Amino acid sequence: MKKVIVHPERCVGCMQCMPACATAHSRSRNLFAAILESPVPKPRIHVGAGLYQEGFPNRCRHCDPAPCLLACLPGAIFRDEELDTVLIDPDKCINCASCAMACPFGVIRYHEDCHAPPGKVVAVKCDNCFERQEQGLIPACVEVCKVNALTFEEPGEALKRKTDEVARSVSLGVSQAELPAGFARFALLIGHKRKELHVGRP
Amino acid sequence: MNDTYAGRTITRDGQLLLEKAEKDRVETVWDRFENQLPQCGYCEMGLSCRICVMGPCRIDPFGEGPQKGVCGADADIIVARNLCRMIAAGAASHSDHGRDLIEVLDEVAKGKAAGYRIRDAEKLKRVASEYGISSDGKDDLKIAEQLAYAMQEDFGTRKKALTLLRRAPAKRRQVWDKLGIAPRGIDRETAEMMHRTHMGVDNNWQSLLLQALRNALSDGWGGSMIATELSDILFGTPKPATTAVNVGVLKKDQVNIIVHGHNPVVSEMVLLACRSEDLLQLAASKGAAGINLAGVCCTGNELLMRSGVAMAGNHLTTELVLTTGAVDMMIVDYQCIMPSLGTVAACYHTRMVSTSDKARFPGMEHREFHPDNAAEEARALVKEAIENFTNRGEVYIPVEPVNAVGGFSVETILGALGGTPQPLIDALKSGTIRGAVGIVGCNNPRIRQDFGHVTLAKRLIENDILVVDTGCAAVATAKAGFKASDAAQMAGPGLRGICSALGIPPVLHMGSCVDNVRILVLASALANALGTDISDLPIAGAAPEWYSEKAVAIGAYFVASGVYTVLGPMPPVTGSMNVVKLLTEGLQDVVGATFSVEPDPEKAALAIRRHIEEKRRGLGLPAQKV
Ligand code: SF4
Ligand code: SF4
Ligand code: SF4
Ligand code: SF4
Repeated sequence: MKKVIVHPERCVGCMQCMPACATAHSRSRNLFAAILESPVPKPRIHVGAGLYQEGFPNRCRHCDPAPCLLACLPGAIFRDEELDTVLIDPDKCINCASCAMACPFGVIRYHEDCHAPPGKVVAVKCDNCFERQEQGLIPACVEVCKVNALTFEEPGEALKRKTDEVARSVSLGVSQAELPAGFARFALLIGHKRKELHVGRP
Repeated sequence: MNDTYAGRTITRDGQLLLEKAEKDRVETVWDRFENQLPQCGYCEMGLSCRICVMGPCRIDPFGEGPQKGVCGADADIIVARNLCRMIAAGAASHSDHGRDLIEVLDEVAKGKAAGYRIRDAEKLKRVASEYGISSDGKDDLKIAEQLAYAMQEDFGTRKKALTLLRRAPAKRRQVWDKLGIAPRGIDRETAEMMHRTHMGVDNNWQSLLLQALRNALSDGWGGSMIATELSDILFGTPKPATTAVNVGVLKKDQVNIIVHGHNPVVSEMVLLACRSEDLLQLAASKGAAGINLAGVCCTGNELLMRSGVAMAGNHLTTELVLTTGAVDMMIVDYQCIMPSLGTVAACYHTRMVSTSDKARFPGMEHREFHPDNAAEEARALVKEAIENFTNRGEVYIPVEPVNAVGGFSVETILGALGGTPQPLIDALKSGTIRGAVGIVGCNNPRIRQDFGHVTLAKRLIENDILVVDTGCAAVATAKAGFKASDAAQMAGPGLRGICSALGIPPVLHMGSCVDNVRILVLASALANALGTDISDLPIAGAAPEWYSEKAVAIGAYFVASGVYTVLGPMPPVTGSMNVVKLLTEGLQDVVGATFSVEPDPEKAALAIRRHIEEKRRGLGLPAQKV
């Protein structure tokens, strides 16, 4: 089954995944209309800044076993076996934050949501865009990410690709391994930012 | 003290005021910078394009996603277009500033600008003669009128080349002519740059960048040069004056007024008002011991250069200055004024006033200054500042000011040398002074405040390299004590000897950012005296902490004029290795100088020293191995 796979080394920190996710979970499904909705839809993916201010897209890993699911006493969190997705039932959620304490990745937020009863603050997190998937669409964050920092593919295939990349670099010797054309540009930027950060800081 | 404060700035006043700001819950530029992290990689690499509305577009720097915008522009074209537009904006800003001064000159000539007058008639005549205007039998106002007219023509489209290009060495002009980048009209080059970057016009990244150089030259040898020359004519050519710098220049027992921005047209009138007898008496009647005018940013530099007015801080300090609670009024004109200032001031009693018809800010009163009402408006504002003195709450001025000497126009430097550049050339030839470097530009929260400027200046003067600086860089080195009268002690033996003999510091304050043209004029004087080109001189430029579009234009006119220039922060060009290579290598063959990017000032100092020794070797002068 295809899954959202995160390639943090390619994230350019543009944050386009965030509004795309929020829009996908709005009433109107349209960015410009969505920002006028109440409650304002919010993203379920959040881009953090790494040590060198590089982007890192942080989203639910849909763990198995899922610590959040185990921590939820009212049983609001459950697993959809078909999509292998950990979901939260907003009707059952009592906003106790136990799940957030249990989640090692800090991906659960609390706010009103158009899918929850009006006025109720509930736990919200990535749902793997199951509604889009039902319509044959890929998750919104993947669709919008133009640098392939997020891909939607069979995990086996992704692993094979990574394995081959590493294998090739070993056979060439790491120093000669050809980076894909674009990597040099990004490496130049990140290298520079890394330097800037170290310059003169106590 | 909290580590993060020391991580943000090397200045003691900055660190203490950051602590105060946090206590007062005042958000600063550093907080907002952190909130922006991570920043958008597309934009940082110059790979996002918002020029037309088939887009916005972005190019995948990894080479797998889209490689072309909707129009078909690839990474090279998009990066070049973005950089070109930055240069156009920078050139436009400086040139518009110059235009404002022409208007003042014109109104002075027509007797419509009460308060302003011609303070340096000799310079007026000298510049007028460069424009082919004879002074014979004419009074100053007539000359001024004709000069204003002639300068306005430099902005337009009727000329083949800008008048002041003639100041450049002949060899340099040949380079420009050969490349076809001698700027024709100041506005024209900016307009053409905007035209060429419109969708579907110039889509050759090399020719785009050449036009960008021409556009930058139209700033350096046009808009900025006019701004500087006219400021000298109207407000006086700077002469060395002692002054003081950092937040400690605010006075607990006096009415404190800060001027901020870039245009001396407003601040000079405020200065006059602050010194008028009746307003001083009014201040005394409110229990104030006087009226203390201080500057921040380049408006501050303008006043410092000409009148020794004290300087409270540079770009990143502008918010912090307000957190002292000691500022009764801040008067701003334009450029580099953070729109956050009104919000900061609202936490204190400070009154914020904007003065330019083209610059408004949230949380500020708008009181427009024009040449005909400026003197009056300035008096009214100073009066209101005095009245605000009694509204002060607690005041926190955490440091003592540092002494500094400023005011080194080319005229002063040559004057100090006995009227010709020969003594400087002799010192360069013998190697007592290895070379000279212009350190310019802003602060940027990416770099620990002032660290780049101060470290670089320190390393250069230690190695007998004379430093001239402008803008926020100049304020940084002044705060660090490099412009004090005894600062020669910090220099290497050769430079120390010369500075001590001439009674000058090893780091010379040459003014505001538009005054970078003074460096061009000085470099031209040296090159002419040696019968060579600027690109052959043992000189370099550096902008260790730049942030603004104006700084890109400045960097580009330095390089196009033949000066090797090292930038601290990376411009948004890494998305195109072609553009990067052209700027850092290819330009050598084109204009005889390149950019280099190095955020670490220690390494930048080494690169500059190497460059200087190489140029010395090229001129057949004794050179060292670095
Ligand atoms: S859209 Fe892609 S590159 Fe941009 S922040 Fe999200 S994951 Fe990173
Ligand atoms: S919310 Fe956290 S703990 Fe729960 S499945 Fe997602 S990542 Fe795992
Ligand atoms: S906040 Fe909601 S989903 Fe989370 S543990 Fe509590 S009830 Fe369950
Ligand atoms: S898969 Fe859907 S819900 Fe999850 S982060 Fe991406 S866009 Fe948001």
